[in-house]
Amino acid sequence: MSDKKIQMIPKIRSGIVIDHIPAGDGVHILEILERDPALKNVPITFGMNYQSNKLGAKDMLKIQKDDLCERTIQHISLVSPGVTIKRIRDFEVVEKVSVQPPHEMVNLLRCLNPGCITQNEPGLKTRFILTDPKKNLVTCVYCEREFSIHELSPIV
Amino acid sequence: MKRDLISMHDLTAEDIQLYLDTAARVETVSLKDRFQLLQGKIMASLFFEASTRTRLSFEAAMYRLGGNVIGFAEQAATSVSKGESFSDTIHTVESYSDVIVIRHPKEGTSRHASQISYLPVINAGDGTNQHPTQTLLDLYTIIKNFQKIEGLRIAFVGDLKYSRTVHSLLQALMKFRVNEFMLVSPDSLRLPEYLKRVETGFPVTFVETKDLEDAIPYADIIYMTRIQRERFPDQIEYEKVKDAFCLNAGMLKKAPEQLKVLHPLPRVNEIAPDVDDTPHAEYFRQAKNGLIMRQAILLNVFEVTI
Repeated sequence: MSDKKIQMIPKIRSGIVIDHIPAGDGVHILEILERDPALKNVPITFGMNYQSNKLGAKDMLKIQKDDLCERTIQHISLVSPGVTIKRIRDFEVVEKVSVQPPHEMVNLLRCLNPGCITQNEPGLKTRFILTDPKKNLVTCVYCEREFSIHELSPIV
Repeated sequence: MKRDLISMHDLTAEDIQLYLDTAARVETVSLKDRFQLLQGKIMASLFFEASTRTRLSFEAAMYRLGGNVIGFAEQAATSVSKGESFSDTIHTVESYSDVIVIRHPKEGTSRHASQISYLPVINAGDGTNQHPTQTLLDLYTIIKNFQKIEGLRIAFVGDLKYSRTVHSLLQALMKFRVNEFMLVSPDSLRLPEYLKRVETGFPVTFVETKDLEDAIPYADIIYMTRIQRERFPDQIEYEKVKDAFCLNAGMLKKAPEQLKVLHPLPRVNEIAPDVDDTPHAEYFRQAKNGLIMRQAILLNVFEVTI
C-alpha cells in the first residue's frame, strides 16, 4: 500500500466532505456538527494534520449524509472561513464550494455587550453585519458595537 | 416608507442637511402658523430613563406644532415594571399615537422598536450607543455659530467611552469631512477604538491628551461632557475620575476669540459657573436649539414641508 493511501480517510460513496480546514479548526467544526440534530447517528470520520500543499497542514471531515443544513454551513463559515464543502455522489465530487461568512448573520452569534437589547429582550434574534471580511469583524445591528467573530459565542 | 430616526449611521450628509435646513426654516415661521402644522397628531413619549431637556423639548416641540403628547417619564410608572415585555409596550402604544419617541437604558432598543412598529420611531438616546437628535441640534448650533462644519477643529472632553452624544456627533462630523479631532479624557474613559475605525474615504487624525489646557488654544469648539456616574459598573472607578476636568473662566483667557464651549447638559462640575458669563459659553443656546431642531425632526417624520 502506498504512503498516500495509508494517509487518507476512506472514501465515502455519498455525502459531504469538508476539506481544506486549517489544522486545529477541525475540532471546532466537529463541535458544530455534534450540535446539529439532523446529524445524530450519522457516521462522521475526522482526520487531523494531513499534509496540504495549500495550507501546510489541514484537517478533514467526511459525513455520510447527503446535505448539511444552511445554518450549520453558516456556523462552519464563521469558525473557519474558506473551508471547502464537497458533495459526493457514487464516490465522485459533484459540487465543490468554498464557504465564506454571510454578509448578514441572523441569530447565529450572541452579542457580547451586556447592555445590548438582544441580551435583555426574550425572543429577539441577534443580527450582525460582516463589516470587515479580511479581519473577520462584525457589527451588531442593535448596539452598533464591533467585535471579532471569534470573540462571540454561537447560538445553538 | 416610514421615516425613523435611529442612528447617525443611517444618515448621509444630505439627509442631515435636510434636518438643518428645516430647523432654519422653523425659526422663520410664526408661532401662530407653526401651531397649525401637526394638529391632530399624537406623539408617544416613552422615557424609560430620566431626562430633562430631551423629553421636555420633544414634548414642547410637539405642542408648539399643534400636536398632543402621551407618555411616561420613568419606567416605574409603566406596565414594564409589572413584567410586560418591551415589544408588548410598543404594540400597545402604537395604537394610541402617530409617532414614538423612545429613551431607554439598553443599546439598540430604538432599532428594535422601529423594526416591530408600523409607526415612525425616534431614538431619544439608547444606553451608551446613540443620541441622534442631540447630534442634530449640536450640528445646528455649530452651523449657527460658524456657518460651516468642514474644517473646524473640535475637541471632545471628558467621558468619551460611555457618552452617546460624543459617539453620535463624532460619526456625523466625519460625514461632513471633519478630519482631525482632539480627544481629552482620562485613560479609563478613552474613545473606544471601534469608533475610530469608521470608513470615511479620507484619513482622520485623533490627537489624544489628558490635559484640558491643550484643547484651549487648539479648538474652535470644545465639546464638554459629564462623567456619567450611572454608566460605571464600578463606582470606585467613577470616584477616581469624576473631577478629572473642570473648565473655568480663567483658563479661557488664552482662548481664541471664536472658541465656543458646547455641552449636552446636564453639567455637574466640569464647567464652572463663571464660564456662563464669557462669550465662549454656548451650551444654554445649544439647549434652546434643541426645541427648534426637535420641531424640524417631527416635521420631517410627518413629511410636512414649510
